[in-house]
Amino acid sequence: MPMRWLAAFFTVAMAAPLMAVTVVTPARTTEVFSRADLIDLLEILRLTGAEVEFAPAAGSYTARRAGHEVQFTPGGSLAVVDGRLQPLPGPIRSLEGHTVGNLAVASALLAPLGWAVHGDVGSGLILTPAGEAAPITLAVTREGGATVVVASGPPALPRARPAPGGLALHYQSPVRLATPLALEGGLSGASVDGSILTLQLVPGWEVAASYPLDDPPRFVVRLASAFPTGAAEVQRSGPLVVIDPGHGGEDQGAQGAGGVLEKTVTLAVARLTAERLRAAGIEVRLTREGDETVALRDRTALANRLRADAFVSIHANASPARGARGAETYYMSADASDPQAAAAAERENAPAETTTLGLILWDLAHVANLNSSARLAREIQDRLNAVHGIATRGVKQAPFVVLTGATMPAALVEIGFLSHPEEGQLVSQPDTQRRIADALAAGILAFLRNAPPPAPAEQP
Amino acid sequence: MRWLRPLVAAVLLLVGLAAAAVLVTRSRSRSTAPVEVPGTPEPTPVPAYLTLFFPGPDLALHRERRLVAESPPTTQRCAAMVLEELLAGSQEGWASPFTWPASVGAVFVTSAGNVFADISPPPAGHVQGTASEVGLVYSAVNSVVASCPGVARVQLLFAGRQVESFGHLDLGRPLAARPDLVAP
Repeated sequence: MPMRWLAAFFTVAMAAPLMAVTVVTPARTTEVFSRADLIDLLEILRLTGAEVEFAPAAGSYTARRAGHEVQFTPGGSLAVVDGRLQPLPGPIRSLEGHTVGNLAVASALLAPLGWAVHGDVGSGLILTPAGEAAPITLAVTREGGATVVVASGPPALPRARPAPGGLALHYQSPVRLATPLALEGGLSGASVDGSILTLQLVPGWEVAASYPLDDPPRFVVRLASAFPTGAAEVQRSGPLVVIDPGHGGEDQGAQGAGGVLEKTVTLAVARLTAERLRAAGIEVRLTREGDETVALRDRTALANRLRADAFVSIHANASPARGARGAETYYMSADASDPQAAAAAERENAPAETTTLGLILWDLAHVANLNSSARLAREIQDRLNAVHGIATRGVKQAPFVVLTGATMPAALVEIGFLSHPEEGQLVSQPDTQRRIADALAAGILAFLRNAPPPAPAEQP
Repeated sequence: MRWLRPLVAAVLLLVGLAAAAVLVTRSRSRSTAPVEVPGTPEPTPVPAYLTLFFPGPDLALHRERRLVAESPPTTQRCAAMVLEELLAGSQEGWASPFTWPASVGAVFVTSAGNVFADISPPPAGHVQGTASEVGLVYSAVNSVVASCPGVARVQLLFAGRQVESFGHLDLGRPLAARPDLVAP
């Protein structure tokens, strides 16, 4: 009987949630509040020497250490790290008067402050300054004419920033290359300096796109030749226009009442517009030639690589308001060109090297394109207004992804509302599509006729 | 005159006793806790107006003043309250910008006046067309900026993640209010 009681006691004791966990730091050993796999995050942060304060106005905690700042809110699963929003690997909860989270959350909060946590809640934790470099694996593959580099390893994603001869990935803590690098395509090398991984490119190659992926966290860099034809330089006798048929592939876009798909309509109108421009002696490239998925930023990247003189994205609109109808032309929102946004963009891209000159150059380039883009949009919309049966909604501004990175005059045309019973039918008819293409081509030609002569092409 | 001495002593004794009684009474009245009057009401919440924007059939944003029972105590609560009222829909018959059963999650406010608000995501392919995206995003941005002092920009997050775009607008950064989208 006593043995059964003893066994029962140990069973209960082993199953009971932990009340505290031992945490060892270089300075001391202490007990920290814990329940099951949750630990007191505020205590853990304070053990690193971070200042932790509660801001009643924001309802959030801010931990500061060594010039870095992490803001988080009980009940949420997000943090603002040095002004940049980041998802956390789990929620932050309030429990018995403590602000708690699991070990992964604690690790995510500690990393920007330069600390790392090791061990587990069951057997004890060790807090150390995050001095050891995290291994990074670089996978390099070829996709068509492009080279794709996938960087994986560190749990926190880097910020990408152009560097001389390549691209620098700024991680939050020191990194190292885990395996020897297999050079492929446009990648000529990679080097690590502290928390910065620099990818060196073969001359004549450029970064076409860079973006993060989740589960597990990876960072993808897509490289493409600056001269897609393979020639040393694209010798152009006249202007080049890139036409972007909106959506495509898995992204069908809007669907009209009769089942017509936006991606089908935009491709038809883009092809017809390209025909008309080519007939007028203009070189034209489409961002997609068929029903294929193309990322938004890759569309603009193509126009940038080709140093196009104009970029026009074609879309068809939709709205829950069934009476909504009409064509409208957008250019980049002024919101994206105001000084505050410029400063924010600069901060995002260059955390350590924000310069006044950089902001001024950014502003000059953006404002110059903004004025030309506005003129391109007006020229197109003026001609669209004359297309019979399509109402006009005028020229507008909005922060479109596909216009954001364009380094040339760029506009996005909504040729009509697929969701409108009559207009949706109209824009799916070949005859109307021809007339819309006539209007788009006429607008682009009018813009090019009045455009200032291009600057001499830079030698790579 | 000798007969006056007891009389003077008695008067002085009486004056002393009276003075002592006054001092004791005063000190007692000081130390006594104020008596709580039964039935004293709690502080009354101060009602407040929020300024909300809903898309109309003309696709412009239409202003609607919304009386709420209690003035939001913090910027974070204000932003959450505005978005909750937007999700609840218009009381004046305007369209709902959130056309799926959405709810408001975590809301962050940074010292720079940026609000990051987490919303439950729409079903895949649910938000179609530039007009729908503009109505959705700027009804939220304009409403939070108009109603919550100190807020400059708003970024909507979906399921706790930054969404680059629903196909058109750049949702990957905080956006400023757009008064030009509001109906005159």
